[in-house]
Amino acid sequence: MAGITVAGVARSFGEVHAVRDASFEVARGSVAGLIGPNGAGKTTLLLMLASLLAPDSGTIRIAGYDPVTEPHQVRRRMGWMPDVLGSWPTLSVRVALATSARMYGMGADEASARAQELIELVDLAPLAEQATRVLSRGQKQRLSLARALVHDPEVLLLDEPASGLDPAARAELRELVRRLAGEGKTILVSSHVLAELEEMADSAVYLAAGATAAPEDVARAGRAARHWRIRSLDAERLVAALGAAGFGEVAVVDRLGAVVPLASEQDAAQLLAHLIGTGVPVSSFAPAVGDLEHVFHDLNRAGGDA
Amino acid sequence: MTGFLQGMWLIVALDLKQRVRGVAWYVLLGVFVLLVTIVTTLVVIATNAWDSGGGAVFSTVVFFVLLLGTLVSPALSGNAINGEREAGTLATTQVTLVTTAQLVLGKWLAAWITALAFLAASVPFLAFGVVLGEVSASTIAVSLLVLAVEVGVIAAIGVGLSGVITRPLFSVVVTYLVVAALSIGTLIAFALGGAALQSTVHQTYIAVDYEQLDENGLAPDGGEVPCLAPVVNEYPTPRWDYVWGFLAANPYVVVADASPGTFDEHGSPRDLFGWIAVGVRQAQHAPDLEPVYDECADWEKYGPYGYGGGETDSETPQEVYERSVPSWFVGLSIHVLLGAGALAWAWRCTEVPARRLAAGSRIA
Repeated sequence: MAGITVAGVARSFGEVHAVRDASFEVARGSVAGLIGPNGAGKTTLLLMLASLLAPDSGTIRIAGYDPVTEPHQVRRRMGWMPDVLGSWPTLSVRVALATSARMYGMGADEASARAQELIELVDLAPLAEQATRVLSRGQKQRLSLARALVHDPEVLLLDEPASGLDPAARAELRELVRRLAGEGKTILVSSHVLAELEEMADSAVYLAAGATAAPEDVARAGRAARHWRIRSLDAERLVAALGAAGFGEVAVVDRLGAVVPLASEQDAAQLLAHLIGTGVPVSSFAPAVGDLEHVFHDLNRAGGDA
Repeated sequence: MTGFLQGMWLIVALDLKQRVRGVAWYVLLGVFVLLVTIVTTLVVIATNAWDSGGGAVFSTVVFFVLLLGTLVSPALSGNAINGEREAGTLATTQVTLVTTAQLVLGKWLAAWITALAFLAASVPFLAFGVVLGEVSASTIAVSLLVLAVEVGVIAAIGVGLSGVITRPLFSVVVTYLVVAALSIGTLIAFALGGAALQSTVHQTYIAVDYEQLDENGLAPDGGEVPCLAPVVNEYPTPRWDYVWGFLAANPYVVVADASPGTFDEHGSPRDLFGWIAVGVRQAQHAPDLEPVYDECADWEKYGPYGYGGGETDSETPQEVYERSVPSWFVGLSIHVLLGAGALAWAWRCTEVPARRLAAGSRIA
């Protein structure tokens, strides 16, 4: 059974259709990225999954329960990290986490033990006795993540978890998310940083203008022509060789080398062999953007054309 | 469901913990005690209370505490829920196992307990009235109890409106307006309502025909008293009995009316609260629209000089007080219903998963 199932979900606020038609599944023990441009309805969708907002139509199942009719069961099993963390400003990190634990029905001792575990998990030990209002944005994000994990939920909903984190903390977050998925948790992560999702997500849900992209569209977008970046020790010879191979019209040359659109991986392999064969000193030959980003842009373009 | 009270208490404790760590609350409490001290001192001097007893001191301090309590309470409660929403901590609480009912009731209890601290600070000043004499301990107990309920009602209205209205500033202001409506608006409504709803009184007057009496002022030949034909006068009278509910809903009236009425041997109230209570209860009774002043009949009953010397059948204040509906009970019931209604409304507006959202509001 899937950890998260969403079928035909729609939600509008007055005239604004924030989510029009969202359908996807996230398998247990896997990490899915929720990708979409600003205003695509990502946060609205996550609020519905988090049992805070009722959908106008469609069905949602979190760990098998309906957040509308069985919110209590859902909340027991679901951890939600909001895009903007509110924290009780005058409470210390430790007290804030222990209070959250108690809100999930833990006793006082159990709650303070859990708070200690989480403080270590997210590296907030030096700040444990500080009031939460003095935390930096990145530290607040870590507190928020700890809060979402406080009752050891089966399903995790993370809304922009990496924003405000430094590169080291991002790497730790990535590791933590992978480890939690390894423990069998279902994780849905929304982010703008696609390169980062690329490294932690097993699958992706593309949301544009309130609708999720159909799997066949995603597959087609993945196969569509994409840009490859080629760098060479000798830029002039590279440009000359590309011109000779018939790419003079479409190649975009800049200081970093050239960007060439290619229809498939086969074409890429062929071009690389050709460049090497003609003696161009190629130092780098790779997709200009990651898979997720490629699909994201392609779907957005398609959405714009429609 | 063993956890309902536990979960609610968690919210109360969380709220109080945050309040006691702020400075604002202590400053308010200090100012409050200072003001009550000043007022008590001035009233003691003004009423010469050392010699004449503490009744006036007590009544004044109770009213003053009620005034300050109703002024402070909205500030303590009016942003309870929407303030959390703005800070982004409401949604993180609502995704836990704490229910909306626990949240709303917990917020209310926390605001009430905070307001009760102000009441507790005023107890020494009320007890001072007992030391000065003439105020019974039961009067103090009842007054304190009613004061406590009244600030609880204001707290409920404040928390309720903070759940209904999106902007914290706006909900605090509306709470103040509700307090003003109860304290002053009820008086205006009572006065204008009573004056607008007037009835006409038809007063019949049957006089003795003094011209036919003999020189001793007696009926001629010891016979029947000569009477004049009845004269009917018409004049308008305000109908307080239609609008007395407004007056009963005034918190000051509730506090005054609830304190046990004590009367002297003539049936007159002994203190300010008693006079207010009698006045309010008097308003419940419809005026006699067809009064008959039969001087002739009185003459026959009491004789020529009996009039005025004998027993009159008009009521004493105590009799009026005792045969009327206790107006504090009506007023307090109205207040409790208002408070409970506000909390229930807040509960409906804050319930998640949310179906309807006010324009411009955010869940998280």
